[in-house]
Amino acid sequence: MRSRYMWIPLILVIIAIVAGFQYIDWRQSGTGAGLYSHDWSPDPIQRYWDPVNFYKAPDTIQGVLEMAQCIQCHEAITPGIVNDWKASRHSQATEAVTCPDCHGSDHEQLHLPTPEVCGSCHTKQHTEFLDEARHGFPSHVLAMDRAVDAPHFVDKPKAEVQSCVQCHSVATKCDSCHTRHRFSAAEARRSEACITCHSGPPHPDDETYFSSAHGQIYLQEGDEWDWSKPLQKGNYKAPTCAYCHMDEGRHQVTEKSMWKFGIKEINPNTSSNKVLRERWVKRCTDCHEPQQARQWLKELDLERKSAWKKLYSAESILRSVRFNDAFFPAAGDRPTYPSSTWDRYFPRERIGFYEGQASAFYNVSPIERDYFEMWYFENLGAYKGAAHGDKSMVTKNHEAMDNSLQQIKQHAETLLKRKDTEADKTTNKKLWLEGEYTEFNRENN
Amino acid sequence: MSGSFFQQLCLAFICYVIAMNAYGADNPPPAGIFENSACIECHQKTSPKLISDWRTSSHASSEPLADCIACHGKLHESTAVTARRDSACIECHGGNKSPVVHSYTTSKHGVLMQLERKSYDWKQPLSGAKYRSPGCSYCHMRGADHNVNNMVRSDLMNVNAVNDVEIETRKVCQDCHAPRYIISLLVSGEDMLEIARKKVREANTLVTQATEDFSNDELEPARKIILTMQKHLKNVYLGAGHQSPDYQWWHGQPALDGDLLRIKGIVGELHRKKSSAIH
Repeated sequence: MRSRYMWIPLILVIIAIVAGFQYIDWRQSGTGAGLYSHDWSPDPIQRYWDPVNFYKAPDTIQGVLEMAQCIQCHEAITPGIVNDWKASRHSQATEAVTCPDCHGSDHEQLHLPTPEVCGSCHTKQHTEFLDEARHGFPSHVLAMDRAVDAPHFVDKPKAEVQSCVQCHSVATKCDSCHTRHRFSAAEARRSEACITCHSGPPHPDDETYFSSAHGQIYLQEGDEWDWSKPLQKGNYKAPTCAYCHMDEGRHQVTEKSMWKFGIKEINPNTSSNKVLRERWVKRCTDCHEPQQARQWLKELDLERKSAWKKLYSAESILRSVRFNDAFFPAAGDRPTYPSSTWDRYFPRERIGFYEGQASAFYNVSPIERDYFEMWYFENLGAYKGAAHGDKSMVTKNHEAMDNSLQQIKQHAETLLKRKDTEADKTTNKKLWLEGEYTEFNRENN
Repeated sequence: MSGSFFQQLCLAFICYVIAMNAYGADNPPPAGIFENSACIECHQKTSPKLISDWRTSSHASSEPLADCIACHGKLHESTAVTARRDSACIECHGGNKSPVVHSYTTSKHGVLMQLERKSYDWKQPLSGAKYRSPGCSYCHMRGADHNVNNMVRSDLMNVNAVNDVEIETRKVCQDCHAPRYIISLLVSGEDMLEIARKKVREANTLVTQATEDFSNDELEPARKIILTMQKHLKNVYLGAGHQSPDYQWWHGQPALDGDLLRIKGIVGELHRKKSSAIH
C-alpha cells in the first residue's frame, strides 16, 4: 500500500529540483548580472569591465574593415594603441595576430576580447585559468561573479560600485595583468603587475611584499634581470608574486590557496590542507631548505591562531550586545539593505563571515564598523604580513587588533548599560534614516 | 596634396625665422649652469607663452616655489629630459607614500612607468603617445603646457568647476584610448565624486544642525571626523583621476561610509545623553 504512493514524493522532488534550476536561471536573466540581476542595471562604463555581459560596439563607424584600414585610422585617432601593437609579439609573429582577429572586422559589431578569445590561441593558459573555479573563492576566474553577487554591490548606487568591478574584471579580460596592446608575458611576471588591485587596507600585498627580504632584493636588482625567462627554479634571484602564486607560469592561482585571504579561519591540519602545504614547501625549496620552509609555515599558523582568538573574542562581545538588543542604532532603526526583503521584515545585525560581515561596513552602528575594520583591515594586514615575510606589518596589525578589541569591549559595556530614551524614538530615528547620501542610496541602487 | 606640402614648407620656414630671431644664427641655445632669473629673462623673449602660463599656475606661487630650476635642474643641456620624469614632481608632492603619488604609482599607468621608464626616449615631446605610459608631466603638462592648473580641480566640493578640466583631460587620454571609453570614464569618475560629496554634505549638515543643541566642545570629535572626510573625498578624486581603484574604493568610499556613521553615532549619543538628563 505504502509503496504504491512512493511516486508522489518522488515527482515532487523532481519538480522542486527543476523549479529550483529554473528559478536560478530566472534570477540571472535581469538587466544586471549575477544572482540579483533583476535588482539593478549597469552604468555605461560597466560595459568595459564586464564586456561579455554588457559591451555594445559604438555605431559611429560603419563597415567591414581590413587590418590596413584599422591601422590607418587608429594611427591618427589613438596612436598609442597602434604603437603598442606594433611592438608586441602579436605583430611580429610569422602569422601576425591582427585587429580583426581579436575584435572582429565589422565595426558596428566589434567586441572586446574576452578570455575565450585569447584562449582560442593560448589554450593552455586559458584552461588553467578556468580550472581555478574548482577551488571556489577567492580566485581570479570567479572574481566578477563574486563582485556582482555581493549584497553591497546590489545595494549601493551603481556609480559608486564601479570601483569594485575594475579589479574584479580580472575574470573577464586578460589585460588586467598583460596590459593592452602589448600583452607582454614579461610584464605579468613582475610584481608591479599585481599591485593595481592587490593594494590597500584589506590586501596590502604590495606593501608587505616590497618590505620583505624577497621584495627588497627585487626592488634593488629586479630591473637588471632577464624577464623573458620562465618562472622556474634558478631563473630569478628573488621571487615575484607570480613566481610563488603561479607555479612555473601556470595561470592558476588557487591550487595552493589554503588560507583563503585570511577572511575565515581554516584548519591547517586537514588532509587536503596538508597537501596544499607541501606544494608551498616545494615552491620554497627552489631556494630554501624544506625544514626552514615548514618552520615559516608553522609561524604563520601561530599568527593565524592568535588573530582568530582576538576576532572570536570581539565576535562574542558583539553577539552578547545583539542578544541584549543593545545595538545603537538597532538593526530595525537603520537603513536596511535595499535588496534584502528579509532584512526589512526581520532586521538583524550581521556578525562574522558566515552572516555577511563583508557587507557590514555601511548602514551599521559604529561598534560593528569597528569590528569590520578589525576583521577586514587589521586581521588581513597581519595575515599578509605573516605570509609575505613582513614582520613589522604583523606587529603593527596585532597591536591594532588588541586596541580594537579593547575599544569594542568598552563600547559594548556602555551599550549594555544603556536604556532607551525619548530621543531614540524621535531625533535619533531621523538621524539614522535621513540625509542626502542615505536617501540617495535608498532610491538609487 | 602639393598644397599641404607647400603649407608645411611655409610653416617650417616661419619656425626657422622665429628661432633664428630668438637665438641668432650663431647664438645656439646656451650650454651651462643657470639661475632662475636668467631662465626667465631669456625665455620671456624666446617662449613668452611658456613663462606666462607658468606665472598663472599655482607653481609660481607655491611654497616651496616650483620655479624653472626646481623642476628642470640648473644644467641647460638636460633641462627638458629632467623635468619630463616623474622624479621631478614626486618630492614636492609629498613623496612616494603620499596619496597623490601613490594613487598614480598603483595605477596601470604608474606600473608601466615603473617597469619601462628605462626604455623610454625622454627626449621625445609630451604628446602624440611618444611614451607607452604617461608620467605626471605627460598628462598634467601636455605639449609642455606650463599651466598645471588646467588639469586639476582645486575645490572638490564645487560641482560646477568641471568643464575645462574635462576638455583638457579628453585630449590627453585620446592619445591612446577610444573617445567613448574616455567619456564613459569621465562620467563615471564625476558620478563617483558626486556620491562622495553627498556623504560629506550629509555629515556637514548633521554637524551644523547639531550646533543648535550642543556646544563646540561636545561636537569636537565629530568635527575631527569631518576633517578626515576631506582626505577621503580627495582619495576618491585621486583614484578616479589617476585610475587607481583602490583609492576610489578602500581609501575613499567605504572610508567615507565609516566617517559618516561614526559622526551619526557621536551626535546620536549626545541626543541620548541630553534626553536622559531631561527626563
